[in-house]
This record gives sequence, structure tokens and C-alpha cells, in this order.
Amino acid sequence: MPTSQDSTGEASHANVDARSAEALLTAGALQTAIFKSANFSSIATDANGIIQIFNVGAERMLGYTAAEVVNRMTAADLHDRGELIARAAALSIEFGTPIAPGFEALVFKAARGIEDIYELTKIRQDGSRFPALVSVTALRDARDAIIGYLLIGTDNTARQEVEDERQRLDQVLRDQQFYTRSLIESNVDALMATDPEGIITDVNKQAEALTGCTRDELIGAPFKDCFTDPGRAEAGIRKVLAEGRVTNYELTARSRDGVQTVVSYNATTFHDRGRKLRGVFAAARDMTELKRYERTVQKNEIQRERDATHAKEMAIVIQELEAFSYSVSHDLRAPLRHIHGYVAMLREATAGQLSEKAQHYLTTITEASVEMGTLIEGLLAFSRVGRAEIRGASVDLNGLVQDVVRGLEMAAKDRPIIWQIAPLPRVIGDASLLKQVLTNLVDNAIKYSRTRDPARIEVGSAGEEAGRVTLFVRDNGVGFDMQYTDKLFGVFQRLHRPEEFEGTGIGLATVRRIVGRHGGRVWAEAAVNEGATFYCTLELASASREAAE
Amino acid sequence: MNALKRILLVEDSVRDAELILGALEPHQLAGEIMHLRDGAEALDYLYRRGDFAGRSDAQPIVMLLDLKLPKVDGLEVLRQIKGDALLKMIPVVMMTSSRQEQDLIRSYELGVNAYVVKPMKFEDFVEAVKQVSGFWAVVNQVPENLGVSENSVSQPPSGK
Repeated sequence: MPTSQDSTGEASHANVDARSAEALLTAGALQTAIFKSANFSSIATDANGIIQIFNVGAERMLGYTAAEVVNRMTAADLHDRGELIARAAALSIEFGTPIAPGFEALVFKAARGIEDIYELTKIRQDGSRFPALVSVTALRDARDAIIGYLLIGTDNTARQEVEDERQRLDQVLRDQQFYTRSLIESNVDALMATDPEGIITDVNKQAEALTGCTRDELIGAPFKDCFTDPGRAEAGIRKVLAEGRVTNYELTARSRDGVQTVVSYNATTFHDRGRKLRGVFAAARDMTELKRYERTVQKNEIQRERDATHAKEMAIVIQELEAFSYSVSHDLRAPLRHIHGYVAMLREATAGQLSEKAQHYLTTITEASVEMGTLIEGLLAFSRVGRAEIRGASVDLNGLVQDVVRGLEMAAKDRPIIWQIAPLPRVIGDASLLKQVLTNLVDNAIKYSRTRDPARIEVGSAGEEAGRVTLFVRDNGVGFDMQYTDKLFGVFQRLHRPEEFEGTGIGLATVRRIVGRHGGRVWAEAAVNEGATFYCTLELASASREAAE
Repeated sequence: MNALKRILLVEDSVRDAELILGALEPHQLAGEIMHLRDGAEALDYLYRRGDFAGRSDAQPIVMLLDLKLPKVDGLEVLRQIKGDALLKMIPVVMMTSSRQEQDLIRSYELGVNAYVVKPMKFEDFVEAVKQVSGFWAVVNQVPENLGVSENSVSQPPSGK
């Protein structure tokens, strides 16, 4: 009996032969079938919604027994109150008349002969909820007056779950797509996918920036059109298709507004799951920075070459200057020697004939020539240091200091000097030049402390750092004003008048030059009348180096 | 043949020459000094050619040679002397105004017998000249054939 199984379609009812229908109704067969269906809840109410019939399906679905609800509850009581309020509000707007958020909201349409099927949440006896699909039909008497309503419901949970799952999967898919897309978009390279014909099928934002075109403009356009050399671009695509991949393929992209960017392409073919070739996936790395870096490197290289040339030229100039100063010094010596010699011969030739004043003049000429000779000697020594080859060897400073002090002490033997000489390390350097340094420094110390009784001269090490030792020579002499310290080491620079302290102004310049040529530095600390300390740094002879010697 | 031991002084500076002669005068050595003014003259003298073609006296007992000379400079004179089989036995003392390392080394490479820096102070200068001259002219011994006659003098290469 196919018609009896069709419990929902009114159209089916229409097909049913009236007589058969009457027979069914008389027999109560249809009614029985409907009310015994365990899969559909069938609830019949009176016109006011009070439940009159509550079938097995309803009992099963809602957890109430028929006895608990019949004549005791309205159909509205089985629904979510909030939903009823919302439905009432919606219907009020739809029909332009206020509809109460109770049972009326459930049957308003059915009461007006409008077929009504809706989804609502039903509440079980235990308070739990489930989605239900409900069909409402008005029951009428012979005079067509509404005597009640029939609400047939199905548990919509399974369908709802399927729907929820579908939505969840959709979300997962969207998330996955978003993730994949964001990977593509966040790539620093401009990415483009093309079909096997080289027509762009996808791009990322970087590709938009590179080409100055929007995604929509790019997709469907030929890949090669984005470059200054379309032929080479096309050849690149062909190469990928032929070889499966290319790396570091250089192209110059040209954007819509003419900006050219040198890019390096890495590209591979990509396939679908059936291993069918789908196209080419190409990543373009902007080489601008690299190119700029390369240019900078190149520029630096040129600059370095220029510097080297300049240094060479400077070296030549310095050499020439030294040759010049040497030659001048050399040539100056002869006339000086002559002045000195002729004065001596004049003195001999005029012995006993010259006045005291005239003899004083001759003496002064002699002194002046000797003084100039000393200056020239100093200058010669100085220029010699500049030209001398530094022969680096392990040097025993203790021995050098001893020699120097012994030599200079003799010259100052009638002076009270207290020497304090500390043990010194071995250093790397040219022994004869380093001896010159110590000689000049100790000689200065003796000279500028000659007004002291006793003079105190100290030679020692002020510490070691980074493979270098700092030597010092300290005296308790007249010292100097620190504001002139930068003049101290200049050629012919003096801080004292010659009648106070004789000197050429070359000694410390020579010291600085020698120490400088040894890779060290010199400086001084002093105060007027409180002595002076001269420092210089020298390379320590390391243990390994000594062992090698 | 002149039996005197002659000192050959090659010095372009009249003043230096005068000072040297003045320094040697009190020691009765002045008469034995032959003063020439440049390197070309010195070579002519030694090879007995040009102005000295008729010279028959012995070669100098010592040659005081200034390093910087007009025409042919001291080092070139030295090179020619020391390159000559006979002349090379003449002691050559290089005299110069300053110690210049490469000149010093070059001189010794060429076979110089002594290298003297003219002292600045007259007393020192006199002392140096006295010592040098005294040593080479008096103390030092030379082979007999140093004072060779013109017959045995070798001829210099043409053009030199």
C-alpha cells in the first residue's frame, strides 16, 4: 500500500480515490499508522494548542509520556522560548500584525491555510534540545472551522550534523586555501604560474608589484609580455617545459609604468594528480639589491685600487721628499764646513792681532755654524730613519737600556741622578733603531731634569695589551704644559727656548718616526715643573716566535 | 822619476781643497799633494793623457777622491780605477760630505780602500785629513810596481 506510507504529501491525498480514503478513515487504519510511527512525532492540539494526542514517535523524541502532556501542556511548551519570540517577531513583520510569541507563532500560517514547514529547536523532558523539522496543519470540522492542529515533526539532528560537518569541512578547505594562498602571497619572490602555453594562471602580490598590473590583468596574459625581452622570457618557459626546471635565469621585468627590474628566475613545471602537465611555476627574485651590492663592491674595488695607486704615489712623493731633504742636508754641510774651517784658519792667521770683541764675533760664528751642523745632523738622522729598512728581530730591551744609560750617564757623570730601571720584556724590532729611541728619550730625561737635585729617571713597562708592551721613560724634570703636547713630536718643534735647554727639535720626531715604523705609537704626559713621562708601544716577542728563533 | 810620495786630491770645491791643504801644511805634506778639480782630469792624470800626456812621475801613493764631482763623478772614477789591472792597486779614499748608505755600499763594492765623511768641525776635519793622509802616505805599505813608469801603463779603452 504505497499511499498509506506517504504520510506527508497532500498531492498524494488528491490522488487517492475518495472512496478508498473514506474506507481508510473509517477503518482508522491511516490514523493508526500515523500515530504508531516511531520515526515521526505526531502531536495534535485543540484550537488553543493544548495537546490532545501525543504519539509514540513524540514520546520517543521528547521523553514525555502521552499522559504527562495530554491536556496539560501546549505544543509551544515543547519549543525554545527564544526561537518562538524571534519567529513571532518575524511573522509580525511579514503579516503586518502583532503575533504573540506563543503557540500562535507556531500555527499562525497554518491557521491561514498556508502550508508551513519550519525548523525549530525542541526541548526534551530532561531539558536537552534537538533540532526538529516540523510541519503544521490545521484540523478543521465540517464547517471548516479550526478545531485543532496537527504538528508532525522529525528529529533533524542527523541532518543538522551532516550540515554542520559540511560547513566545518568547507571551513577547513577555506582555511587550507587561505594558508596556501598566504604562503604564496608572503613569499618575497614574485610568483607566477602559467599554463603550458605560457599564459599566466596565477600571481602573487609581489608579481603585481613587479609588473605594475593587477592580478586580474595578469591572469590570462602571456608571461613573456612582462619582460623587456619577450623572446628570452618565452625561451625560458620552453626551457622549463623541456627540462622540468631552470635556475638563476635572468630577465628584466618591465612594469606598466616603465620601471625595469632585473630578476633571477627559478622555475619548475607542475602537474596534477594524474601527472598531467598543468604549467610552469616561476619565482622571480628581485636582483636590484644584489646588483647594487655588486656595483658597490665594484666601486669599492676601484676605490681601493685608486687608494693603492694614491698610496704608491704618496710613497714616491715621500721618497722624493726624503731624497730632497737628504740632498739638501748633504749640500748644506759643505758650506757650513767651510765657514767653520775658514773661521778657524782666520783665527790662526790673526793670532794675537784681534780685539776681544772681534774674537767674540768669530766665536759666535763658529758656535752658530756648529749649531746649524747639529740641526743638519738631526735632519739627516731623521730622514735616514724614514728610509731605513726595519729589520725585525727579537730584541732584548734590558740590554739596550743598559747600554744607553751607561753611555749617557758618563756624559752626565757629575750630576746626581737616581736611576730606577725595571726589567723589560723582549720585543720585535730593529735593535739599532730602538736603541736610538731609548737614547733620545733617556737623553731628554737627563737634559730636562738637570735642575733637579737629585734627578730621578725611571725606565719601565706600563703594561702589556694585545701583544704590545707600553714602555715609559719618566723624569722629575721641568716637564711641559700639556696643551702643547701635539707639538712635542713635530720636526723642529720645541717647547723650550734654546738658552734654557739646547736641542734641535728632532729627537722626539725621530722617536715617533721609529716607533711608528715599528707599528707602535708614542705619547707623553707631563705638567710644568712636575716632570714628564714618555710612552711608546712595541710589539712583544711572543713565546712561539722566540722558540722559532 | 819623482821619488816623492804624492797624494792625489780630486776635489771640485776650492774651499775644501784649501782647507785640506791648510790642514796638511803644518805637517809638511802639502808639497806632495796633487789637486785636480774633476773626475775627467783625474782619469787623464792617471792614464797620462790629455794635459798629462807627458807625465813621467809615479802614480800617487793614495788618492783622496770626492764623491760628487763634475763631469765624471767619484764613483765612476773609482769604477774605472778598480777595473784597471794596474791602477786598481792605487789606494782610493772616498771623501764625502755625508754618509749616504747606498754610496757607501757602492764604493765598497767597487773596491774602495776607505770611506771618510768630512767632519763638520774644522778641528775634526783637520784631524781626519791628517790621519788619512798620514796613514796612506806614511804608514801604509804599497807594492813596488805601484809607482810604475809611463812605459808600463796600460792604455784605457778607447772613448773612455
